[in-house]
Amino acid sequence: MSDTLAQNVRRVDQGTEPIRFARGWHCLGLASDFADGKPHAVHGFGTKLVVWQDSKGKLNVLDGYCRHMGGDLTQGEVKGDNVACPFHDWRWGGDGKCKEIPYARRVPLRARTQRYETAVRNGQLLIWNDPEGSAADHAILPPELPDVMTDKYTPWSWHTREINGSHCRELIDNVADMAHFYYVHFAFPTSFRNIFDGHTATQFMESKGRPDTMGGGYGDENSTLKSEATYYGPSYMINWLEVDYKGFVTEVILINCHIPTGPDSFTLQYGISVRKPEGLDEKTCAYIAERYTESFGDGFLQDVAIWENKVAVQNPLLCEEDGPVYQLRRWYEQFYVDVADIKPEMVDRFEFEVDTTKANEYWHAEVAENLAKRAAEEASAPADA
Amino acid sequence: MASFVPTSEETLADFRHYTEERLVEVACLDCLARVRVKKNSEHQTSVQWTGQSQADCQEFQRRGDSPARRDVHKPCPRLMASIDDAVRAGDVPIGAYDGY
Repeated sequence: MSDTLAQNVRRVDQGTEPIRFARGWHCLGLASDFADGKPHAVHGFGTKLVVWQDSKGKLNVLDGYCRHMGGDLTQGEVKGDNVACPFHDWRWGGDGKCKEIPYARRVPLRARTQRYETAVRNGQLLIWNDPEGSAADHAILPPELPDVMTDKYTPWSWHTREINGSHCRELIDNVADMAHFYYVHFAFPTSFRNIFDGHTATQFMESKGRPDTMGGGYGDENSTLKSEATYYGPSYMINWLEVDYKGFVTEVILINCHIPTGPDSFTLQYGISVRKPEGLDEKTCAYIAERYTESFGDGFLQDVAIWENKVAVQNPLLCEEDGPVYQLRRWYEQFYVDVADIKPEMVDRFEFEVDTTKANEYWHAEVAENLAKRAAEEASAPADA
Repeated sequence: MASFVPTSEETLADFRHYTEERLVEVACLDCLARVRVKKNSEHQTSVQWTGQSQADCQEFQRRGDSPARRDVHKPCPRLMASIDDAVRAGDVPIGAYDGY
């Protein structure tokens, strides 16, 4: 092969993964799931965390391994307000200090472990992670959702899935990825915009389901979707969805959040709450909520299949119809550098509207062809098939 | 300290192509805000703000900056109209160069 040819070949730069975990609020799950007076284990930030509720109802989060001899606190017991290690019964308080060692005259002064500041938002437990150890920034917590957690909405349907072999930036990339909605989620995005501003990144999308596929996630040809999805920080997205199914409009709120567990693994969590349509009984509302949970759950699985098989690309090659992947990653970088190293362009507002006209022209032609092919196959198949 | 570290110079060049090239300054006709704009096609628009231009934008100032308010994310209609004017006047070229 000549040198010139070799030079013209574009190479995938896989880059190197960051050695730290993102600064910001991360959701561990529904607060009610931790409220039974027992210690709970959640994998995150390269370790195992212990979560428990104390007698005052406050949720506490510590590193899950006892600083004494490394016992697993998540397998211990809650005693009073503290979590007790199963190995030697050292008692740890929610402030990270060892409160008591029942067999010892005194507790060593240095007996402090890693604690995480907590907040409950929309019925979910969030913790603040910062490799620099700053105090939690409550001003940038995700917003409270009005009426959610009241009888106007169905209760959160909450799901968890471990993802191995991918950095969580793959999940973030979806914010700017217009075309994957057609190929992976079987929808036509007819309108697609992004706005990155400060610690938020938003995707506005309108889409219609594809008639040549069985839907899954983003609906079939009878449904149109108006979606507004905002990341508040590196890992917690609120997606406001308006689904119009044959003129019947449903408001759905989808929470899409994750906790990084290792350099190339994360736990994806998603929750769905549906505004109860007026005039429908509880059972029907619950059924509708489960249907949406199922279909958006399927949507995530479609993404997972891609992530588990792709490589990381530090230098994506884009065409004119693609969204602003580089600007999105520039925004995402702010959570991985020291606060002192955040550059203005990482947080400066950036707006982008994707031109979906050419893509939709092609996609509609492709779908028409698929439908014609299918009709021809059905016509030539035996009648009883 | 960079976190996701590229392993080649070309990657940094790509980053510049996609984020910095061919941006044209457009001034808002209603306030002091000046932004940088790129149009890869009739329907595609990129708008790069700065901290200063956001502070200058009267619309954004009026809306306040509470992240709890969803309308904070919407573009400023006055600026969008100003960009349309600039495009009509031929000040913002339309068309992409090899995907950017």
